[in-house]
Amino acid sequence: MLETTGLIKNFGQIKVTQNVSLKVEKGERRVILGPNGAGKTTLFNLLVGELRPSAGSIKLAGKDVTPLPVNVRGRLGLGRSYQKNNLFNELTLRENLTLAVATARGAAGWLRRDTLADGGIRETVEDVAAQVALTGLLDHPVNAVSYGARRQLEVGLALATRPLVLLMDEPTSGVGPEMIRAFHDLLKSLPRDLTVVIIEHDMDLALDVADQVTVLNHGEVVFDGTPSEARGSSLVNDIYLGTWAHA
Amino acid sequence: MFRQTAIKTITMGLLVALLVVYAMRSGFYGRELVIEASALIILAVSLDIVAGYGGMISLCHGAIFGIGAYVFAVMTTTYGIDPWIALPASILGGAVFGWLVGAITSRTKGIFFIMATLAFGQMVHVFTFENRWLGGDDGLSGVTRLNLSAIGVDLDNSLNFALFSIALASISYVLAALVLRSGFGRTLVGIRSNELRMRALGLTVWKHKAAAFAFSGALAGLAGTIAAQQTMFVSPTMMNWMTSGEVLVMVILGGLGTLVGPAVGAVLVVFLEHQLSGFTRHWHLIMGLVLIAVVVLGNRGFYGQIEHWLTRRRKPPQDASAVEKSESSHA
Repeated sequence: MLETTGLIKNFGQIKVTQNVSLKVEKGERRVILGPNGAGKTTLFNLLVGELRPSAGSIKLAGKDVTPLPVNVRGRLGLGRSYQKNNLFNELTLRENLTLAVATARGAAGWLRRDTLADGGIRETVEDVAAQVALTGLLDHPVNAVSYGARRQLEVGLALATRPLVLLMDEPTSGVGPEMIRAFHDLLKSLPRDLTVVIIEHDMDLALDVADQVTVLNHGEVVFDGTPSEARGSSLVNDIYLGTWAHA
Repeated sequence: MFRQTAIKTITMGLLVALLVVYAMRSGFYGRELVIEASALIILAVSLDIVAGYGGMISLCHGAIFGIGAYVFAVMTTTYGIDPWIALPASILGGAVFGWLVGAITSRTKGIFFIMATLAFGQMVHVFTFENRWLGGDDGLSGVTRLNLSAIGVDLDNSLNFALFSIALASISYVLAALVLRSGFGRTLVGIRSNELRMRALGLTVWKHKAAAFAFSGALAGLAGTIAAQQTMFVSPTMMNWMTSGEVLVMVILGGLGTLVGPAVGAVLVVFLEHQLSGFTRHWHLIMGLVLIAVVVLGNRGFYGQIEHWLTRRRKPPQDASAVEKSESSHA
């Protein structure tokens, strides 16, 4: 479903992503692990088109999307939630989700119909809100709800576009244990045909939801295996304990 | 996002009623003021679409206003074309120029966007000023008005033309409200709020911005045709960046991003200018002080501040328990 081949990104002399080749199958839950500065978010930026690779290619559902801009990749089915909330802050949660659903459905340019009043769009918005447990807050402005609710909305916006591949950049960043459990349940409840790639620092959550684990360090893949292999890997443990150094 | 609230409907209704009554009860000069105010209502509303709802502060709306006026004037005076053909051509001229400005400047932001629109406006102004075919700095005179004799209305009569201008301003407001209430308008607000996220969601942002500018340009072009017919004369002065600046003042005075506010601002400026200039030659100074006061005291404009007070009084306090409830549901 999502494949990268020899992906390289350099910022001047700094090599941020080094020869990353990944193959994520349809319906797979792939967790990307790695310490701060390992190049995880840069990899996501390359996947969605916010950065252009210095070399290498990216395929989505067999189609080479490397030269395509962010919006076209979004339309082709790459949905992304951000590490730092990237929302429509002065709008309500309903308006946020409506923008996402309407854009995905090609209703963003409607001149004669109101996307906020359209029955089909409203229904999808309410379904997504229920999925991320935001039903009771739909008519609140984003800047009036809690940080946790904003994290949920961040994921909701990505889900609302009905993506083929959902890229989640640290969905539990900055939230407490209860919210981490809620995200765990959400990840478990996602349709099995949806491909999910997650950057996550919470090892328990990551290894519990993952089908496959990829560990990045200094921009390169240093481990690729199943969660049980990751648990047993001294390399993975060392990276997380900070005792592993790049040769 | 835009909502045609009861406050908006009542305010716009009162504004239109005020202009109609004023036109009917005053003489030629009063009616001229009403016509000027009506044209500026359309121009201010057109600017609010891109500036208030799209976050694109334009300093070329004076030029688009002038393009509408000049297309109308050239077609009716130089070529003797029927004003009813010149009218849609003028609107189209404004739309095409607006689309070009929107498309070319769509990747710029903030001060750079403002400067780019200023450059577009000044290019049009200088081109017109130096072009003899367009009358150069003398402008063009002898512009004819639309002919409504088929329905027994003589637009050469100042009252009829004033009422006709008010009708066009009302129709323009309704059109703008309908567009802002559509999926297109909702998306425009999304772009203003977070352009990067809209792009990530799959939107081709530049096309949307260009289309918004085209719609805004069409209305600005229509406003230009009213101005051209009012004085039966066009000159490059109307395309000067000062015109764009004055319309921006009207929008800010009334309330940026409220749609009705800019209409209120246009009427306020036209009538205050008329009243103040009777007392002092330094009326610009007083207008400047009023603008500073509006910006410093709340930044919402006259109408925007009133709407804010009224909605705050009617809205119940934020339901904090709903927030707590939602969070506890994850436990």
